[in-house]
Amino acid sequence: MPTAEELRSKKQVHYDDVKEGQEMPPYVIGPITPTHIFRWSAAIENWHRIHYDQDFAVYHDGLPNVVAQGTWKQSVMPQYLKDLCLPDGWAWKVSFQHRAMIVPGDTLTCHAKVTKRYVKEGLGFVELEVGMKNQDDVETCPGSGTIVLPLRGGRPVPYPFVPPKE
Amino acid sequence: MSCGKTYLTDEVKALVGVTGERVPASLWGIEREGLRRFCQALMDPDPRYWDDQFARTTKYGETITPAIYCTYLDRTPPGAEDPVTRAFRENPASDGIGGVRRGRGALPDVPTELKRILNAGNEIELYKYPRLGDNIFSQAKYASIAERVGSDGSHMLIVTAETRYTDQQGQLLCITRASTIRR
Repeated sequence: MPTAEELRSKKQVHYDDVKEGQEMPPYVIGPITPTHIFRWSAAIENWHRIHYDQDFAVYHDGLPNVVAQGTWKQSVMPQYLKDLCLPDGWAWKVSFQHRAMIVPGDTLTCHAKVTKRYVKEGLGFVELEVGMKNQDDVETCPGSGTIVLPLRGGRPVPYPFVPPKE
Repeated sequence: MSCGKTYLTDEVKALVGVTGERVPASLWGIEREGLRRFCQALMDPDPRYWDDQFARTTKYGETITPAIYCTYLDRTPPGAEDPVTRAFRENPASDGIGGVRRGRGALPDVPTELKRILNAGNEIELYKYPRLGDNIFSQAKYASIAERVGSDGSHMLIVTAETRYTDQQGQLLCITRASTIRR
């Protein structure tokens, strides 16, 4: 994952720089520990015991261990797309399904591949196939996303973001 | 091949478009300490969330929060009944969250005998980052309810609830859509 300094000084990726089929830079997170999972529960006040009580997770719910929260994945995916777009692009949409569980010991790789690109109203729209795979190449949340990048020499991406007229 | 009865009744279909009340989604608005805890738990060190001087030089012009942060601000107010104590008082083997209590702005239950609820996926649309001091409001609605037939012929409902988050000026921040499978 990028450091604060890398995010501070990140150079803009322009629409002109990406091509269909291109893999965007991945994020690697982990290995995830029970403490990371517990910290997320505490931060958002999610008291469900499957996230911090191993006996409950295993013996009551039949899970392999405590498990990472869907809300964490739901927050990391927009973060990943945001960082791809910094400093002046916009992570507009992301959608995904919840598939494989994330458990302590997992090292996760967020990934994105360009599936389609087009210009509308002077802005570059890039559609992506996205997901988060574990160290065994198992997909935990397959999905898609749309980011908006400025064209080189083009107009700035509006903020707040205004979607194009259909 | 279908071998079950339909669960997409007229009563269920009538829920599509039903919208809850627009309600405050944050207790005291967005404050810096909660934001620090959230960003550290998310493992996002972006200085746009904590370095005011740097944030002023960005296109946002001020310190912002992760876009999705506004969806996590519905907290138990001080003085209210402790939900953790209540959950274990009602059931000593509680899962920690207890029975769902419907709060203000919540949508009505789906009238179905299908009791098992599985998370089918999430969609998020982002329009503006929340800022320090913002008060957040949310409004939920049933966006769609569809029926599918599983490979074993059993019927299930796919229920999608959409929630719009806005700030105190009514500016749209984000829209989330959470789909659940009822089977």
